[in-house]
Amino acid sequence: MLFNSLNFAIFLPVVFIVYWCVVNKSLKLQNILLLVASYFFYACWDWRFLFLLIFSTLLDYFTGLKMPAAKNHRIKKVWFWISITVNLGFLAIFKYFNFFSSSFAELILNFGLYVNPWTLQIILPVGISFYTFHGLSYVIDVYNGRIKPERNLIDYSVFVSFFPLLVAGPIERATHLLPQIQKKRIFNYRESIDGLKQILWGLFKKIVIADQCAEYANMMFNSPLDHAGSELILGAIFFSFQIYGDFSGYSDIAIGTAKLFGIELIRNFAFPYFSRDIAEFWRRWHISLSTWFRDYLYVPLGGNKGNMWMKIRNTLIVFLVSGFWHGANWTFIVWGAINALYFLPLLITGKQHQNQQIIAYNKVFPSIEEMFKVIRTFILIMISWIFFRSETINGSFIYLSRIFSETLFTVPNFSGVRYSLMILFLISFLLIVEWNGRKEEYAICRIGTLWITPFRWCFYSLLVFLIGMFMPTSETPFIYFQF
Amino acid sequence: METRALIGKFLLRICVFLVFSSTIYSILICVAGEILPKYLKRNILYTLGSVGFTHTRLEEAKITENIDILFLGSSHAYRGFDNRIFQKHGYSSFNLGTSSQTPLQTHTLLKRYVKKIKPKIIILEVSPMSFEADGVESSIDILSNDLKDLNSITMVLNQNHIKAYNTLIYSIYRDLIDINKDFAEPPNKGGDFYISGGFVENKCNKVILDTTQSIAKTINYSKTQLKCFEAIINEVRELNMRLILIQAPITSLKYATYLDNTSFDEKMMKYGEYFNFNTLMSLTDSIYFYDSHHLNQLGVDKFNTEVIIRL
Repeated sequence: MLFNSLNFAIFLPVVFIVYWCVVNKSLKLQNILLLVASYFFYACWDWRFLFLLIFSTLLDYFTGLKMPAAKNHRIKKVWFWISITVNLGFLAIFKYFNFFSSSFAELILNFGLYVNPWTLQIILPVGISFYTFHGLSYVIDVYNGRIKPERNLIDYSVFVSFFPLLVAGPIERATHLLPQIQKKRIFNYRESIDGLKQILWGLFKKIVIADQCAEYANMMFNSPLDHAGSELILGAIFFSFQIYGDFSGYSDIAIGTAKLFGIELIRNFAFPYFSRDIAEFWRRWHISLSTWFRDYLYVPLGGNKGNMWMKIRNTLIVFLVSGFWHGANWTFIVWGAINALYFLPLLITGKQHQNQQIIAYNKVFPSIEEMFKVIRTFILIMISWIFFRSETINGSFIYLSRIFSETLFTVPNFSGVRYSLMILFLISFLLIVEWNGRKEEYAICRIGTLWITPFRWCFYSLLVFLIGMFMPTSETPFIYFQF
Repeated sequence: METRALIGKFLLRICVFLVFSSTIYSILICVAGEILPKYLKRNILYTLGSVGFTHTRLEEAKITENIDILFLGSSHAYRGFDNRIFQKHGYSSFNLGTSSQTPLQTHTLLKRYVKKIKPKIIILEVSPMSFEADGVESSIDILSNDLKDLNSITMVLNQNHIKAYNTLIYSIYRDLIDINKDFAEPPNKGGDFYISGGFVENKCNKVILDTTQSIAKTINYSKTQLKCFEAIINEVRELNMRLILIQAPITSLKYATYLDNTSFDEKMMKYGEYFNFNTLMSLTDSIYFYDSHHLNQLGVDKFNTEVIIRL
């Protein structure tokens, strides 16, 4: 079931009404409802993989119980590694097996030996990377004594499977989400209105920005040799906004939906395209993943402790693993490596923590210097997206070399060029609204709060109209479903 | 305030907003339909006087009564059943086929016209394509060229497609301000001639046959189309009219697109009288067709003669 589908538009109000009007007297019943709804939501995609989700949940739940009860540290460690190995094992089989197999065959071929790669015809279970990371964070936190194990299986299962975040995050932490699941929730009118606004903005970003950009980005990336450099630059810009609109749109819908049930999820995006350097970008892009890797990989590796070489090594590892987490393809690893290369100069010069404050905080417009930094950061990120989007590394270099060919300064002229200008106009609208709301949790959080209700509602209706005018003819899945 | 009262307030506010937003949305759709260039109106497809002479045909349907045969179906029907040939054999007829018509639109047209036209026999053209299609193209065609009533709203709700919703809003607006009252569709368009009774004759001698062999596939039945098809069958039975299901001939290459033509035949036979003229007749593609889906006049003559034998 997709957030941008009619099924979800029916599913959500039904669950909402039952949750607040039928089972509102009992926290236990509310949690059971959330669990059943979440499993139904997941089963709509493919019910067979529901068993994998349940198995993973049970494994981590029992591991959580067994570790503190272990007689000695060795047994505790055994339980810990069983959970880690099985969880990562599932990920390795479903997500990375074919990649390792074919990469091994290619490596052997370099030594003059031919091996027929053994690949599996397997479907990637949607959301496996996300719910595995939920489970891992819980097991690691219990192992390190940061949290007590959860004894209530229903509560723990809701933590892993809560439907708004089940398939594409944000990647929650037990320390943040579990207490909310255990606590009696009271309907909050303002929070619920806020949730609806955030869902609307998320739908706008997905349908009006991401899905429209996708059409032209796909056209350019599918056949870069047929297009001029100027058109390919446009394609790269479109992909940059496609992935932003798609993923941050998903996150807004997920966070907004959770608010309707009285649950607050962690923020996942904080206007990353207004960043002044790469470090700031990574503090604002896919925050739940960046902080996950910081807490469960970077810090255990030593973090900022040790000499500069250790810091560089740790940073490189985190970016490479982060790239690999996105998908079983060398393009993602190179994407991670490029971002590490962008980041390292800041780390070496000790400037990775500058630009903590929101850009132009007390001003309407940025300064020339800030504008230059924002554009520079966007260009760097856009170049890295070319590797992320291309099918192969070779394809990325073809795309880049074609951009920097003699056709770079020609006027774009492809089918639908007039329509693409409309999309640029919509992107400008997005940027203006986001700039205006950059101090808030999401862009339209406080827009028009001083206006009288009809004017404010006219703005929301305009968003609804744009969604209706640009909605694709078929439901388009979110990009991060594949990760 | 108590939780229940707060939830009530919340739900009421949503309802008020939905009414407000729907009004603004409708106004903006009408304005966009009027002022935006075509390339920006991807989701408002208003096709007054489209390729299949739907406007002329439906205008004629409104004044047609008491005939022997009513044809329904896609372009296979309105380009395949020639009223003149049936008239020669003593059958008065009317062709209510429209471009890419699927059971969803057939059901709408049937409910709207059958009691007024009062045919003795209904010939419904069926094909695997019509059971697979979403039918948006045809819904838009009918919304743009025919009156709007409760059946139109039911059709759009069943369709559940943004283009159909937007086109319904825009076409209601055009009806309200009576902007189409002076519209007159020309009787011929690019080699297509409208023949009174609903048939469209292609007098263009150009033959465009798709000779590429596509990968054969199985029929992916749409649940909505199957549901509408069964509703059609039940309603015709209730009206005590004779219903004949016909699969019109297409080129052999096109026919081979589906692996399960036999199971389709078996399925159709369960619903009553059914003839598949792709298996009953042998028509050479290059002689009897002007494109992969449509017979030329020579083919129409031969096909219609075979149909009349079976009446």
